Amino acid sequence: MEPIYLLSLASRKSGWLAARQATVASNISNVNTPGYRAKDLAAFSEVLNKTQMSLASTNVGHITPDNPDAVDEAKSATGNWEVTETGNSVGLEEELMKANTISGDYELTTNIVKSFHTMLMSVVKE
Amino acid sequence: MIDPLQAAFSIAASGMSANSARLRVTSENIANAQSTGQTPGADPYRRKTISFENAMDEVSGADVVKVSSIGTDPTPFNLQLDPGNPAADSKGFVKIPNVNLLMEMGDMREANRSYEANLQVIKQSNALLSMTIGLLKG
Repeated sequence: MEPIYLLSLASRKSGWLAARQATVASNISNVNTPGYRAKDLAAFSEVLNKTQMSLASTNVGHITPDNPDAVDEAKSATGNWEVTETGNSVGLEEELMKANTISGDYELTTNIVKSFHTMLMSVVKE
Repeated sequence: MIDPLQAAFSIAASGMSANSARLRVTSENIANAQSTGQTPGADPYRRKTISFENAMDEVSGADVVKVSSIGTDPTPFNLQLDPGNPAADSKGFVKIPNVNLLMEMGDMREANRSYEANLQVIKQSNALLSMTIGLLKG
């Protein structure tokens, strides 16, 4: 059934956004830590494409596709705004902007779920 | 691995406590900017420094920040001619602490700004959480 697919997509999106919020939080709290490199998650579309059933490899010779649990994998952000003398690459303004984007996207996702839920309920109640 | 939003809260809290420790060190330096020694030729207050390090929190699996060390600034003390001071040496010079008020003020502002940024993260994570709870309201 199609609507269920949409709900699961929304829940995965909100899970991804929550994980991204955690990486933004760790970037911000480490803004003064020498040598800390800013991190970011892989883009949601990438994560979505990667997430699939993968074959178990029981031998080193087995060829495996890309790592499916990309959500846990934090990559270091590229194209940072500033790198300071101490090797810290966190841009505070950049991170706050990211946090804002996350907030907006999260609101969108929860509102989609809410309106979809309303639709489902109106069908059930009829 | 706990819920990422809960992790965001604990990470931001660690950043806030690290920055309040920094503010404490800065205020100690400012308060002791004029603290000379007690006996002739004695060393005055030495400026303290604080450094942060990135740590892995075992419980949440999150990248938190913690204070790695509180050390002292090795720059030499300034000398000031003040023969009347009890800490003056035979030539009348007194060692003044190596605290630069301008630098401390800058440090203080930076600690303030980082604290604020962490507070902002908590506010935003809280907003995300209440949006999720808001789904239940129908």
